[in-house]
Amino acid sequence: MSWWSKLTEALSGLQAGRVTLDYPARPRPLPKRFRGRPIFKAEQCIGCAGCANNCPAREILVFDVCQEVRILKYLGRRCTYCGRCADLCPEKAITMSQTADLATDRIADIQQHLELFMSTCQRCGRCFTEPSPIEQLKLKGYRFDDLGNERWIYRSQAVLGRNDAVDDIPLELD
Amino acid sequence: MSGHLHEILARGLLQAGAVLLAAPLAEGVMRKITAVLQSRQGPPVIQPYYDLLKLMGKEDLECGESPWMQRLAGWLALVAPLSVAALWPGIGGQGPAAGDAILLVYLLTLGGVATLLAGLAAGSTYSLLGISREMMTMMVLEPLLAIALLVAACHADSLQLADLFGGAIYGRSGHSGSGLLMLGVLVFAFQAMVSRRPFDMTEAESEIMEGPLMEYSGPKLALLQWARMARLVVSSALMVALFWPGGAQLGFPWAALVFAAKTAAVILAVTVIAATHVRYRVDQAIRYFGGMLLAGLAALGLACFGF
Amino acid sequence: MKPSEILTPIKQRYGTAIQRIDRLDDRRLVLHVDAGALKSICRFLFRDLDARYIAGIGADDRPYSGRFMVAHNFAFDRDGLLASVLAMLPADAPEVDSIAGEVPAASWSEREFHDLVGIVPRNHPNPKRLVLPDGWPDRVHPLRKERPWNDRPDGYDEDRPFAFDPAPPGCVVVPLGPFHPTLDEPAHFRLYVDGEIVRGCEYRGFMVHRGIEKLAESVLTYNDIPMAAERICGICGCVHNVAYAQAVEQAASIPVPPRAEYIRTIMLEIERLHSHLLWVGLAGHILGYDTLFMHCFRIREPVMWIAEKISGNRKTYALCLIGGVRWDITPELHDELDQVLNRLEAQWRPLVSALLEDRNLRRRAAGIGVADRALIKEQGLIGPVARAAGIDIDCRRDHPYAAYDRVDFDVILAQDPDVWGRISVRAREVFESIRIIRQCLVKLPAGLLQAPIADELPIGRIGMSSVEAPRGESHHWLITGENHRPRRWRVRAPTYQNLQGIPAMIRDQRLADMTITLGSIDPCFSCTDRLETVDVRTGAVRVCPPEELRDRLRQRWNEPTTP
Repeated sequence: MSWWSKLTEALSGLQAGRVTLDYPARPRPLPKRFRGRPIFKAEQCIGCAGCANNCPAREILVFDVCQEVRILKYLGRRCTYCGRCADLCPEKAITMSQTADLATDRIADIQQHLELFMSTCQRCGRCFTEPSPIEQLKLKGYRFDDLGNERWIYRSQAVLGRNDAVDDIPLELD
Repeated sequence: MSGHLHEILARGLLQAGAVLLAAPLAEGVMRKITAVLQSRQGPPVIQPYYDLLKLMGKEDLECGESPWMQRLAGWLALVAPLSVAALWPGIGGQGPAAGDAILLVYLLTLGGVATLLAGLAAGSTYSLLGISREMMTMMVLEPLLAIALLVAACHADSLQLADLFGGAIYGRSGHSGSGLLMLGVLVFAFQAMVSRRPFDMTEAESEIMEGPLMEYSGPKLALLQWARMARLVVSSALMVALFWPGGAQLGFPWAALVFAAKTAAVILAVTVIAATHVRYRVDQAIRYFGGMLLAGLAALGLACFGF
Repeated sequence: MKPSEILTPIKQRYGTAIQRIDRLDDRRLVLHVDAGALKSICRFLFRDLDARYIAGIGADDRPYSGRFMVAHNFAFDRDGLLASVLAMLPADAPEVDSIAGEVPAASWSEREFHDLVGIVPRNHPNPKRLVLPDGWPDRVHPLRKERPWNDRPDGYDEDRPFAFDPAPPGCVVVPLGPFHPTLDEPAHFRLYVDGEIVRGCEYRGFMVHRGIEKLAESVLTYNDIPMAAERICGICGCVHNVAYAQAVEQAASIPVPPRAEYIRTIMLEIERLHSHLLWVGLAGHILGYDTLFMHCFRIREPVMWIAEKISGNRKTYALCLIGGVRWDITPELHDELDQVLNRLEAQWRPLVSALLEDRNLRRRAAGIGVADRALIKEQGLIGPVARAAGIDIDCRRDHPYAAYDRVDFDVILAQDPDVWGRISVRAREVFESIRIIRQCLVKLPAGLLQAPIADELPIGRIGMSSVEAPRGESHHWLITGENHRPRRWRVRAPTYQNLQGIPAMIRDQRLADMTITLGSIDPCFSCTDRLETVDVRTGAVRVCPPEELRDRLRQRWNEPTTP
């Protein structure tokens, strides 16, 4: 009977009561595993570039200013919040925060940049152990051997200069 | 005589103004009730006022085939139900009236014609599709209202609105067959007269992108929206006046309040039905109304013979 | 029929034309055939052996074998077999006889590989551009290996409009799209309307074509691609994520741990729940029944919350890596998921019973958008569209993957090949999904989430995977390659196939029913289009007036590409 089904349909809404949440007046607690903006902790970062190597969106850039100083920059524009960087970081320096409200008109609010002092390694490439052969790191020590399209790890201002988001760092050209 | 005229004019303006101001409130209450049925919070009851104010403050863009005709259509659409309100013979159907049944039918049809004009003036493919639907529905619906008034006129032996309102349709016995038949017919056809679901195919957002309303924005859209709200209030009042008599003897202000409460009840019923039904297609609607029309003609026949 | 039984008649008739048969495993085969025999063999499979057409693939294999490759994939659903018929074409003359005349379902696939790879399907019944815009220069084929992923070809005429076919006489043209309230994504349906009756339709889509397949071949690596794959679709992301991972695992013979398989199954079914609940609501909205829309979304919301608790996101679960899954289901999540399912079932059951008795709803849905068995066979329609017509196909049962071979469920069928049947099928499939998840939760074995991968993945192996998305079969085909990325990855989403049936479904119907017919295949245009050309350097664009934006775009066209 059609009128009976209409009645059921109408009543199901009344039974459920009001389900509208008071957001944003009252913030909603997020689950523990929520993948928000990744936060990079400079004190723990060893500059291995494992995160940059494995970011599917290529939004983490790593480059050397000189022999001892490496800059790691999280550009945040196309970040998909997948959490691979956090999973792979050998020092657990990256956490996926609970920050979901990221709307801003200044990209700098989302970006993070770390200046890392790199001590000389005994042997190149030890700091990042890839979990499987398909996540191989393509750089040895501080030299970048694999430029071009495969890994977007830029080496010089000349290449970086095109990107508005990174031109605040004064660099010496090669 | 001129005092009589002044009284009519004053009351007319007052009634028109009341409908103009109350219509968005009726719409707001409708939205709130719909929200409750949908487990939502819904907008505040005075939201339609904000919406109309916002629209009127927007830039009056000229898009569509004929912008001046668009404006005319908007004004016509709003003025038609307000004129009906102005000509109303007092709340509860008492008091001297300025018009008769023919004028009433004309003014209500004018509202429909204004929608057609609106769609034509916009001129886009979807608007024209919308007005073709509107034309088809108007052809079967407007006669129903005219028939109802004629049935009342048969019983009351008069075309003056004051005589037709207040239950005249039920005849001298108070429960004539034709009156009850017309009650049934109009109850089933009412949803279409106020263009609400399941009979709102003219402005089907998900199918024809709002149809005749398509090239309207800003103040022009405000006029059309307001007209739609006013039309709901006036049509509901008409239903109450024709078919739900009683309470007029209480005198001012109780009679007015009772009348308003009854109108509100009709609007509530419209809301609940609109919230729980799927939109029908125009061909399905026409078949449905064809049946109603036959019943209406039968009622008219009965009324002519005094039943 | 076992694979050998299927192969016998093929070998008998075409023995000389078959160069090699690869058994990838006991349910997948690749037949390497002569290019000249491709058309006859495909016709034989489609007509005589009654196989279902899945997808056609074109690939530029010149760096590896010096030739182009074309493949047509078929499914033998009753036998649980996927077969790929593959031919190699000479590099200087990549042409092949079109099979679209015999297998109408192949029409779009052939137009696609013509546009993107430059393999010409000779005698194609409708050789118009499908993917590339009409102003795109000729002989510039994006999926060819010499074209970089961020290619900006010279001679692109962005102002050239689409060349539509002329309208049938006596008809008015009603444009539906690219912007329309019913369409969630842009697509253009050019309807030819006579009064209120639709007499014909031409579809122009691929406006959200994003270049994911090209990115996967050039820039991304095996473990990056799942994140891109799940963004192919706005609802069935997990399906693409899992299908891709499975295709690679099959190609590289990586065994997935059982716990990971069960978790994949659970997440896939959670996705099916939220997709079907959304769809029933959307169908209500299209028909003007907003209250149903609100009810469905209210009932659906806890599913989104539990998905977020398990994976960290409501929809993009980022679930799979090659060889396993990333998220575990802890005992607390297990209990919560159980509660969500119980509540869902308690709310959905009465609503479905009411819906299926609702005459008002039925009047708008019965007899609309009819896709009879003949159309389903010819165009290769899949998913609830086929099941509503009573055709018993479901990849979960026919080509089992993840843990579906270890759970019991029924395939929901109806006998109404119209919109009403599809509403009925999707509404009832929700209960089967709940049943599957409950069984998975009970049977969830302990163990690893990720298979250890000791070696680099083998190169040049073909992998195929068919996964039952809420919309139908989603098929991924790939060839593993060098530098930790595939040589070619082809995604055939279900809407790609179902859209090809739309012109027939809407013909001689009223315009008012157009949108619900389109909605009833549950279209996902993003799935169909699959391309996103991402430019690293456009990060800084903020609010630009249209003219300025156009100028900037023109400027960028003229800039040299990356050094």
